Amino acid sequence: MIYVVYALIVFSAFFALAGVVGMLRMPDTFCRMQSSTNITTFGMIGVIAGGVLYSGFVLHNYEMLIKLLVMGLFYILTTPISAHAIAKGAYHHGNKMIDEAVCDQYKEDMQQ
Amino acid sequence: MKKASLPAIAATAVLCFIFWLLLTGQLASLIAGEPSLEVLIAGCLVSIGVAAFSARFFIHEKPFFFFNPVRIFWLLVYCICIFPVELFKANWDVARRALSPGLPIDPGIVKIPVDLKSQYGQAMLADSITLTPGTIIMNTVEEDGKNYYYVHWINVASEDHEEAGQAIKGRLEKWAERIWE
Repeated sequence: MIYVVYALIVFSAFFALAGVVGMLRMPDTFCRMQSSTNITTFGMIGVIAGGVLYSGFVLHNYEMLIKLLVMGLFYILTTPISAHAIAKGAYHHGNKMIDEAVCDQYKEDMQQ
Repeated sequence: MKKASLPAIAATAVLCFIFWLLLTGQLASLIAGEPSLEVLIAGCLVSIGVAAFSARFFIHEKPFFFFNPVRIFWLLVYCICIFPVELFKANWDVARRALSPGLPIDPGIVKIPVDLKSQYGQAMLADSITLTPGTIIMNTVEEDGKNYYYVHWINVASEDHEEAGQAIKGRLEKWAERIWE
């Protein structure tokens, strides 16, 4: 079982690495946010799932297991809400998308 | 904002009490059959107090709507089987884009229609779409009785509302409908 835990943590480390590289390379605020979602989903869920398996099957500490599950639950519930708020706030503050952007139907509708 | 009814307060209190059990670590001792009575009574009082003030922000529709085994079963199926698969596909796609040398992205904001009526269903669909990498909901708007989302999409495959909606929502919308309507 301990090897499953290692595998999950390596798996999420890979996605966290991809997310950080993406955040450094992406051209504008919104694309950077997209890349950071990589870290906030699989980068975190893998670690939490690894922790759940470790506390359940290796340590047999069920209080820790429940706390990890609650952490994961609140994490999943709160992350998208902050992402909505940051994206909308950044847009209305005047952050521009890159010039190569395909379309901006939000701007078209706001000008009407 | 209208005042909360008594069933709405009761439903919120039950939910608060479940989270109290989880956060104080009482669930394990409750299962083991040796609950600490003081903590449970304090939890009851606090959750009823919190519910009395917060129910009107939290519940706008039928209060005991969600305490239904069928809905909870479908929600669990969605959380364990359906959503992780979609999450993996999207994660892999964005990770590949971020790591590939040419940085192949076509970002843009598209407007997609949503057919869900329930507010909870709309909120769950919006959160699911935001949680999958590659798409972030920026705003929601209601026009002529129909709801639309504005989505920032990292790889705009189609500018048409319906086609973009199909590509972004996929089967998530069908599941949100099954759970909440």
